[in-house]
Amino acid sequence: MSETHSPSHADHSGEEQKYHAFINLALVLAAITGIELVLVYLPINGTLIFSVLIALSLFKFISVIAWFMHLIYDRLILTLAFGTGLVIATGTVIALMSIMDRGFVDFEAISAF
Amino acid sequence: MSDDAHNNDSHHNLMVNNKKLLMWLFLGSDCMFFGTMISTHLIYRKLYPESFDPTSLFSLELTSFSTFILLMSSFLMALAVSAMHKGDIKGFRRNTLGVIFFGLIFLCCQVFEFTEFVHEGLTLKSGTFGSTFFMLTGTHGVHVAIGVFWLTCMYFYSFTGKMDPHESAIDVEVAGLYWHFVDIVWIIIFTAIYLIEFIQ
Repeated sequence: MSETHSPSHADHSGEEQKYHAFINLALVLAAITGIELVLVYLPINGTLIFSVLIALSLFKFISVIAWFMHLIYDRLILTLAFGTGLVIATGTVIALMSIMDRGFVDFEAISAF
Repeated sequence: MSDDAHNNDSHHNLMVNNKKLLMWLFLGSDCMFFGTMISTHLIYRKLYPESFDPTSLFSLELTSFSTFILLMSSFLMALAVSAMHKGDIKGFRRNTLGVIFFGLIFLCCQVFEFTEFVHEGLTLKSGTFGSTFFMLTGTHGVHVAIGVFWLTCMYFYSFTGKMDPHESAIDVEVAGLYWHFVDIVWIIIFTAIYLIEFIQ
């Protein structure tokens, strides 16, 4: 069997553009990981650092989904298929984190049990 | 309708390949799975903050290195999928081998980290922190191991001569989706479990 095939010129230039996008994104992701490592050791406001870390990880998360996983090049139904699970998961995390607060939990009942 | 047209339709009912759609649905459900485990860990950290101080145990340098390795493996996976779409099987093999190598490095780092933690007294049974931490990172590690195994099978399958670039491109893409998902879960774990512990 032949090791290489010859796709159309349009396919090839499309893949070439993606290749450059992938390289740029990989560099940005590596840089952000380095920035995150430095950020946590900086003696500045904890809430600010926390917010920046959340923003940076969300950026990495969305970038990988959009470009590496080709979601921006694909059909909307795939975004919906994944987005539904993602929204439910995010909602669950936020709801549980809000409900399970020290003020709402009866520690005495837990200890007695 | 001819047989060919019928077959084609059965694979693209929604103008999307069924394998790809199923993988995206699976990844959506896996989000919920990891979402509950991350919540469990964070809730116990919130309820019992004084139970354990992981900053003396965690090595952020090692974890950052693992994160970097996983991100670069995702980059190589994207290149492997791209190579397959171009019909370049040699390029697919080269990049897939890189992904497998990086995946194994990640797993080695995790095994090293777990061993260190157990030596320091943090185990599955040592408390809520140990239970939720090992469950979450261990489950992620199992996902990485499955990904490495899947890609290794694909790598060797490409030498059998049965792998046609046009037919198999979708299979490589589906495997790639799984691998990228493992990467994005780690992005969240890295921030939510490791980094925020060090904020002063």
